Parts: sequence; structure tokens; C-alpha cells
Amino acid sequence: MNATALEPRDAPAPTSSGNAKIDIRNLSFHYGATRALKNISVPLREYKVTAFIGPSGCGKSTLLRAVNRIFELYPNQRAEGEIFMDGEDILKAADVNLLRARIGMVFQKPTPFPMSIYNNIAYGIKLYERLPRSELDGRIEDALKRAALWSEVKDKLNTSGLSLSGGQQQRLCIARSIATRPEVILMDEPCSALDPISTAKIEELIGELAADYTIVIVTHNMQQASRASDYTVFMYLGELVEYGETEKIFTAPGKKQTEQYITGRFG
Amino acid sequence: MKKLTASRGQVLYLRRRLANFAFILLSLAAALFGLIWLGFILYALVKNGITALSPRLFSQDTAPPGSPGGLANAIYGSFVMSMLAVLAGAPIGLLGGTYLAEYSRTSRSAHALSFVVRFINDILLSAPSIVTGLFIYEFVVVPMGHFSGLAGALSLMVIVIPVVARTTENMLLLVPDGLREAAAALGAPRNFIVKTITWKAAKAGIITGILLAVARISGETAPLLFTALNNQFMSLNIARPAASLPVVIFQYALSPYQDWHDLAWAGAFLVTATVLTLSIIARILDKKRT
Repeated sequence: MNATALEPRDAPAPTSSGNAKIDIRNLSFHYGATRALKNISVPLREYKVTAFIGPSGCGKSTLLRAVNRIFELYPNQRAEGEIFMDGEDILKAADVNLLRARIGMVFQKPTPFPMSIYNNIAYGIKLYERLPRSELDGRIEDALKRAALWSEVKDKLNTSGLSLSGGQQQRLCIARSIATRPEVILMDEPCSALDPISTAKIEELIGELAADYTIVIVTHNMQQASRASDYTVFMYLGELVEYGETEKIFTAPGKKQTEQYITGRFG
Repeated sequence: MKKLTASRGQVLYLRRRLANFAFILLSLAAALFGLIWLGFILYALVKNGITALSPRLFSQDTAPPGSPGGLANAIYGSFVMSMLAVLAGAPIGLLGGTYLAEYSRTSRSAHALSFVVRFINDILLSAPSIVTGLFIYEFVVVPMGHFSGLAGALSLMVIVIPVVARTTENMLLLVPDGLREAAAALGAPRNFIVKTITWKAAKAGIITGILLAVARISGETAPLLFTALNNQFMSLNIARPAASLPVVIFQYALSPYQDWHDLAWAGAFLVTATVLTLSIIARILDKKRT
């Protein structure tokens, strides 16, 4: 990869140049006989936040769920095309579990496991690492601090993760996904079930996490995309309409449809 | 004109209220009709059962009419056969139900297989229990050459499996897919997700199912008639015929002797009390789940 080309290209054309951590090429996706994505090509740049925006049903979540192949939990869903991560095709990777360990995911609804706060975080770490207790404790504390939850839960690590509030649960899930030290974090509308204060906390968090991770966020909220992301992908009816720097997409969009959407004329 | 529509609305509303009232009345009557018989049965059971209760029920074996006897061998036989049936049947049912809930959607062939398994499970669930007894008679009792507690336990096991499989499947399906996705997204393999997340989330419901299966088999008579038969003595060897409460109740209730009748009432009371206790525990666990 050419590490010198740090500046994004503003054209919607696919690119493998620059510092693309993940490069999606000609991706099509099918739910049974329905084609939900049509030849999507887009890079996801390393240590940047890329937002997927678009009206409901445009395929933004579908695209996100293809990146860690989570859709494979369900029959009748299949992806065609290529998704390169560090030059290797994700869709052809032999071991999907090892792949997912490298890509964290945060969901729309908080999904704490029915176990203690401590064990919620330890769960992912223990999957692939055998650590002495003290080191594990350190990793858990570190993850909770990075997710801005440590001060609120440090005295009750043994209580159930389900006892936390919605916003806290979502930060617990973020802590859980960064505790395994993934390279990429996928977020599927992580704030849609949260109040404005929790949302602000998580947006702030996303900005901080981008220093170490490649982040992809699906959002319905255009303000959120403009606040929290470096690059924006606008999708409509399963197609990629425009891709570019967030600032450019929101101030001088290249396509009429993009402009109409971000100014609230449809969607 | 306006007035007319208003009064028509009132008539409609009145009719609906009347229909509603009639419906509530009918529902109440139906519920009462069922409860009255249950009340009679429980009343007779408690009245006759309590008077027949005594310590020797638990210390002495069944005896010929006229001599003092108890139900120790029958209680022991029922306990051992039920425990063996649950110990063997619950894990099979648990794994079967888990397959139906967790693996049926992994592929088209698994989906087809699950459809067949679920269909057969439903048939087993509603099959008359005497058929189970005949089945074990043919496959275990005849080759062995004699009746045995083991055959009785196997027969009860065949009843346990579909009950546990069905409740396990239902309880696992109540676990939100979001939890499975979250665990899978961390890189957890499917069997590990089942073991650490979904079984855990559905634990109370699954245990409830097992308790209900115990309750179900502790009153079964038909599957034991052709398998464990009966035994007038305490038998610690499960390869020999074994006594059980339901079969002893059946035999004693049909006898012409008063002391046997009393023992039958006492046995019936014990079985009912056990089933009731198990059902109440299951209810409490079920409440805790939600």
C-alpha cells in the first residue's frame, strides 16, 4: 500500500490507493432473490471514521454487515464481489471467526451478555488469549476507560451488565469490542436507541478511538455523520451515489441526489 | 340527521357491551366447570389421603391384604425410574431442542432435517403413553426375557425427551438474535455461543421444562405396566421388575380390600403433592425468567 497518499480522492470512483484499510470492490448482496446491494466499490481508510448515510432500506447496514460476514449467521443471504482487508479477500477468508476477532462490531441495540460487567469484557479477550488474572484485569480496566465507562462501573464490576442504563450498556458493548484489540470497528447506528447526552458521549468517543482504529459507522442522523466522520458514503436503493470527504459531501455535494438528501428533501 | 347517527352509535355501543358481558359470563362458567371437578378430585384426595398417611408408608414395603404394609418399595421404584429417565432423557432433549433452535437455520439441509425432527417430536409429545410402553416391551423386555426397572426407566425416558426438546427449543428462540450476533462478532464459534450465551440466557426456562417433564412422568402408569411391571418387595437391582407408585395405586384401587384402598389413596396423595410442588417451582422459575 502506498502510505504517502494520505489525502482522499474526492471522486466516487473505487480506489485501492491511499491508506485504505478495507477496500470494497464490486460488492453485490442478495437476500434470497432480492438484490440489496449493486456493485458497491468504496475504500474504508485506516485511522479514519467513515459514515454510511442514506434513507431506510438503502443498504447501508447490509454493507456494514458484509464486512465481518455476520450475515452468514442466516441462510439465504450471500455476498458477491471482493472485500480486501490488508490485501486479503475477506469473503474468501477460510476462518470467519479469526476474521471477526480482527473486526469489532457495535449494534443498534445494546447487547450486554447475561453476565457480570467484568465477564462481558473478559468474554471476547478469553476467546483468543490466555492471560494471567492481573493482566486481564488491566485489559478490562483499559477497555472500560477508553469507552468512558470506568468511573461509573469500577466499584461494581461484578454486577450484571444488564443492570446498566441504555447508554452505559452501549458503552459497555464498545468497551467489549475494543478490549479484543481489533483493527476495525463497525458501528450499526450505535446511538439510535440512546438519549442526546449518551449520544454526545459516544460521538466524542468515536473521535478518540479513530486515533487507533479504522471506524465505520452507519447512521440515520446526518448531523452525526457530519460531526463524527471524516469520510461519508451516501447510498440510495442499494447503490453508492457519492463518496468523499465528509466536509465536501455536506458543503458541496457532487450529485443532485446527495444534495437533496442532506438538505432533507427526501429520506 | 346528526341525532340519528348519534343514536345509532349508541345502539351499536350498547350491543357491543352486551356481547362483551355475555362473553365474560360464558368464559367464567367454562372456567368454573373445569375448576369444580378439580376441586372435587383434590378434596377427595386430601380427605382420604391425609388420613391414610403414616410413617410406615415410607418404611415398609407393600404387603398382602390384612398384614401391615407401606409403599416404600413403590416410592423408591418411582424415584429411581424417574431419576434415571430424566438423567438420560433430559440431555438428549436438551441437545435436540438446541439443534432445532440454533442449527436449523445454518443451511438448507439442516432446515429440512429440523422440519422432520420437529414433526416427529410433536407426534411423540402427543402419542398415548401406552404406545411407549409397548415399544419398550418389544425392544427391551422381550429380548431381556423379563420385566425390569431399567425397561420402566427407558419407557419414561421416551416421554421425557420430546417434552424437554420442545421447551428447550421454545426458550432458546426467545433469546434475541442480537446476543448471538454480538458474540459471533467477537469471533466466537457457534458451539461456544450456545454454551456460553444462549443456554445461559435461557437457563430458567430450560430448567422449568425439565421440571415439567419430571412432573409429567411421575404420574404415568401405562408405560410402566408392560415394562417395570411391579414388585412386592424392595428391589435395588434395576434389572429386576420394580414397583412404582402409579402401578401400585392402580392395582390397590381395583382390589376389594379396605387397607389396600387406604394405601392407594395415600399413594395418590403423594404423587399429586409431588407434581403440584414441581409445577409451583416451575411457575416461580418461569416468573423469574420474565
